[in-house]
Amino acid sequence: MNWSKMDDVNSQYYFTASMDSGKTLCSLLKAIQFQETAVFCALPEGLKLTVEEGKCVQASAYVPSDNFTEYHVRDDVDVMFKISIAVLSECLNIFGSGEESSLKMYYRSEGSPLLLVLQPQSVNNVMTDCEISTQNADSVLELRDEDSAEVAKLVLKAPAFLGLLADLERSCDVIELHLSPEHPNVSIVTYGMQDRSCIDVPKSSDMVQSFTCENPVTLKYQLPHIRLIMKALAISSKVVLRCSSNGLLLLQLKLEKEDQRQMFSEFYIVPLLDD
Amino acid sequence: MKFRALMVDAGPMREFANIVTIISKLSKECILRVAADTLYFIVSDDNSGPAPPVLWCEIPQAMFFSEYQMVGLDDEHKDIYLGLSSGNLSRSLVTLKTAKSLKMKLTKKQCPCLTLEIEMPSSTSQQTRNVTHDIPVIVIPRKMWSEFHEPNTPDPDISIELPALKQLRTTIDRMRTMASEVIIWASAAGRLTLQIKTDMAKVSTRFKELRVEAFEGPIDHSDSETESQANEDMSRICYCRVDAKKLSMFLSADQVTHNRTLCSIVHKKLVILCLHTEENVRLQCFISGIVY
Repeated sequence: MNWSKMDDVNSQYYFTASMDSGKTLCSLLKAIQFQETAVFCALPEGLKLTVEEGKCVQASAYVPSDNFTEYHVRDDVDVMFKISIAVLSECLNIFGSGEESSLKMYYRSEGSPLLLVLQPQSVNNVMTDCEISTQNADSVLELRDEDSAEVAKLVLKAPAFLGLLADLERSCDVIELHLSPEHPNVSIVTYGMQDRSCIDVPKSSDMVQSFTCENPVTLKYQLPHIRLIMKALAISSKVVLRCSSNGLLLLQLKLEKEDQRQMFSEFYIVPLLDD
Repeated sequence: MKFRALMVDAGPMREFANIVTIISKLSKECILRVAADTLYFIVSDDNSGPAPPVLWCEIPQAMFFSEYQMVGLDDEHKDIYLGLSSGNLSRSLVTLKTAKSLKMKLTKKQCPCLTLEIEMPSSTSQQTRNVTHDIPVIVIPRKMWSEFHEPNTPDPDISIELPALKQLRTTIDRMRTMASEVIIWASAAGRLTLQIKTDMAKVSTRFKELRVEAFEGPIDHSDSETESQANEDMSRICYCRVDAKKLSMFLSADQVTHNRTLCSIVHKKLVILCLHTEENVRLQCFISGIVY
């Protein structure tokens, strides 16, 4: 395709993008795939897919546009629709996880299917095209409250934090997070049927890269909600935890790729309130 | 009735074990037909009626066995038909990949048995160990032989060479998570397309530049609401809708070292997958088309 023709295509379509390998995108999607459908949103600065669990957890995969070799969104329209994230990730993986394949995405206009064209890098006599149906998106929850101040911020190494979460007793429902400027800074408490277990992480620990907390604070979450981040932790290098004064927990995970570009996932988790 | 055979070469023993593994994946029961120059494995579908068997595998004995003696039922009926559990057989042959020799014989114990004597090398000494497996078999009576005759299938409309089976299986397995049926398209121009259609998605994986062995067109599409494929002359394209799981099971045959695999299609009715190996083994799988 020559350039003038590509420009034509770009102006016809609401959204077009291409990428040399769809593999990382696929593993990022799998990390937030705890619901059947996601809201697919192409913003000028990057691609964002969001899933929600009830009204309690919101997870997003965010791929900045510099990860794409070509990225074009029409600026006069909103590119936002609902799509099956399970089907999308199976399609991205159609040649298997051992195969790097290039990816092109096209979305013509509202109500059109999302078109994917995949071509493996190692063989050239095969390609796959997918038409994935799209639906109108419901609005995405706005969980962030601008009026609530940030009360604590931690930067942790993702693999170590994953190990810590894996150690917690699976049958527990509630996880308590105690943060304080005093030793032991972070203490994670879970309550089981007959026991209470506690893990202390002082800020001098290897897994803590930075710790900010002015006043002691205790927050409670449902453990199954926290566990939803584990797949994303497994593919990330670093995680930032932010607690705001209303108890909302925001986790930002950074996925490092070989080519130095970055992709992110983000989880908002609503606290359990004392009754 | 008599049957005894000996295998001593590592290559054929490995292939034999692989072939039996594939068969055990496709079906619990199989028929072993022993003939003067060929061993046959036959799997037929219980409720298929007059349809061809699910699997038909021919193993030329001269390529595999160093000794091979058999005496059939009588002078007129020179073969032996045995019914056995393919799982039993494949489990017994697990160790064959490192064995020194395999002796197979038909024996009469408490019941008729296929006895396998596997000679295993020892890692610590020159001596070998002998492992004997007795697999109970049913000797199929003469009057039922006709049920396991060589499949008589309609002439295929197209025969096209398949791309690497492993690649194909990965793709089919991804498609299987989204749909239970796959449509296989093949064109006289050497294109092969695997397609699924659901409410959620339409996914087509297209292979090109494949060798077409035979084409018996033109294909009549007048009775179907077939959508045209990428500006190609539809009279040179045929298709068949098949069960994705069955297709995937055959594709696990990529473990058997093979020369080539042919896919023959009887338009809308039948897909025949045929794998040829270096040792002249022919493994054929028959998947009937799903028509609404």
